[in-house]
Amino acid sequence: MTFNVLIVEDDAELAETLETQLRGFGHHCVLAENGQRAMAAVTDDAFDVVILDRMMPVIDGMGFLGQLRDGGHKVPVLMLTALGKSLQKVEGLEAGADDYVVKPIDAIELNARLNALVRARQWSGEESDTIRAGGIVVSPAKYRAWRDGVPLDLPKTELRLLAELARNAGSVMTRPMLLERVWNYDFEPTTNIVDTYIKRLRKKLVEDGGDDPITTLRGVGYMLKK
Amino acid sequence: MRFSLRSLTWIFLLLFLAATALTGFGIYSTSIATIRSLVDERIAEVSLTAVPRPTGAEQNVRTGSRFDAVLIAQRLDALSRDRDTGDLGFSLTDMAGRHVAGNVRLSRMLPPGFSSVGVNDNIKGLTKGRALVRELPGGLRLTVTAETEPFNGYDRARARIYLIGFGSIIAVVLGGLVLFSRLVSRHITDMRTTVDRIIAGDMNERVPVTGDGSAFDQQADAFNRMLDRIQQLMEEIGNVSNDISHELRTPLTRLRGKLALLLSRVEEQEVMGAAVGGALEDADDLLAMFTAILRIAEIEGGERRRGFAPIDLAMLAGEVVAVMLPVAEESGHALLLEESGPLPISGDAQLLTQLLINLIENALRHTPPGTIVTIATSRFGERALMLIQDNGPGIAEDQRQKALRRFGRLQQGRSAGHGLGLPLAESIIRLHGGEMRLDDAAPGLTISMTLPTR
Repeated sequence: MTFNVLIVEDDAELAETLETQLRGFGHHCVLAENGQRAMAAVTDDAFDVVILDRMMPVIDGMGFLGQLRDGGHKVPVLMLTALGKSLQKVEGLEAGADDYVVKPIDAIELNARLNALVRARQWSGEESDTIRAGGIVVSPAKYRAWRDGVPLDLPKTELRLLAELARNAGSVMTRPMLLERVWNYDFEPTTNIVDTYIKRLRKKLVEDGGDDPITTLRGVGYMLKK
Repeated sequence: MRFSLRSLTWIFLLLFLAATALTGFGIYSTSIATIRSLVDERIAEVSLTAVPRPTGAEQNVRTGSRFDAVLIAQRLDALSRDRDTGDLGFSLTDMAGRHVAGNVRLSRMLPPGFSSVGVNDNIKGLTKGRALVRELPGGLRLTVTAETEPFNGYDRARARIYLIGFGSIIAVVLGGLVLFSRLVSRHITDMRTTVDRIIAGDMNERVPVTGDGSAFDQQADAFNRMLDRIQQLMEEIGNVSNDISHELRTPLTRLRGKLALLLSRVEEQEVMGAAVGGALEDADDLLAMFTAILRIAEIEGGERRRGFAPIDLAMLAGEVVAVMLPVAEESGHALLLEESGPLPISGDAQLLTQLLINLIENALRHTPPGTIVTIATSRFGERALMLIQDNGPGIAEDQRQKALRRFGRLQQGRSAGHGLGLPLAESIIRLHGGEMRLDDAAPGLTISMTLPTR
């Protein structure tokens, strides 16, 4: 998937790095160095996603976000901030940001998050609670899942993990993303809780035969085949 | 010699009381002696007016014109009537002690010379006074008495004046002393409260300044300026280490990204893959270390207190144990939970979860497979108690303090991890107003934490 990305960042060097990285994934980028310019850009053009720096001159990240949402724009927004300001994350999400990450962020992680954001927008448009990916069907509301029509007996956490992977089937989910979405953790434990649970999920998925539907991307994360 | 403030106060008080009492007594006795000698002088003078001193020749004369009883009686009569000497008592007695003349009668024989007389002597109009007895030729005795008190009950009145006078001095000094010590102790308490709050983690606390420019104010002001300076320096140091961490994170993240890309390309060449994989792990460790440093800085800034919410610590511990069970199972450890009733506290659920996961990870990492790790929560009076105990090799007593220090890695093979796990845990506990300590579980390690309940 390739997107139209608006990068709102006052640090020119960082903005360029982001642009180069995202071009590498095939995305098209537009740069805006402050909230004012960004406002003009969103009105002129349709973007799939906005990357927004919190600290900016003229109109800062929060100010821009407020104007954007007040103006009825629903475009997904990923906010960037410096580490060590956890409370800002809560404020950012409350103000209408869809994801919130600390700088610096590596390219793969950023791409994975953008993918998830755009995908989440597509899901929210659908009525059904059922998620399908390959032969896997997950119904998070009913706490049930099936593979090729056979019910899977999954504990709650494994089920939520599978649902998250299925919702983003075909794109990689990094460990921090899974920790945030499945466990609600805003920190990364040093042992790999994610790895342990993936291992258990895999075991359940292949119990009744069939290929392993989860791909491991070493050093990056996991992906459920479409 | 050194005195404590308390003993110095007592010494001062006793000396002050002694000096005041001595002064009072001195003034009292001097005034009495002065009055007595003045009265003595007066009665001697009057006595000589009545009967002049006999010459040597007259001593042996039994009767004579100058010492004739009738003559003396006449003189005494005149003196009694005189306005100047009318307040004095006169008595002339003969050889047998019979009253011959004078305006008073004596109930007892007074000794010759000066003596004190009182109300018991039943001398008319006299309560306290002096008497002079002279033996005259011919066996006659002349007694002159005089009052030493200007009015009745003068002694009591004087005592009362002294009590009021010196008593009020003592009262003023003692009262002043109490007020003064209260004032001093109030300022000291103000300062100590501030220091306690700073120790508790609020570096923004300052000693109140009244603005009257007193020595206490100047002291408080100097103390506050010192705190400002310390805070400024701490912030600078904090900024520097934050800057370093941020700066280092950028190239590390880039390195990590490149390695991850490389790894995806060289997956087929296994040896190369392992090497790059190892480099990736190193980069991850470094990133985790800086994340922990920045996290500790954030926690110690105290700002996360704003996000505190009601939490049940027992429930939180149960949830974390449930999450960590599969991880413990994988590393061959037993993870047990000793549940308690609800433990309502006020805190940051994310941080407390991170704390528990950290400590459990620590226990799993540093103990051999087969070790039992127990998490227990309980109520201990007004505080919530949380224990993490293992029956592994433990930490030697002299190493425990070091384990809590940042980067304070221990020699005995505890090499894994970034050396910030326990300091991070401690900073989280401190943020919640709690305490954390390491103890011997004999065998193994007990980490006990107490937190205030809500």
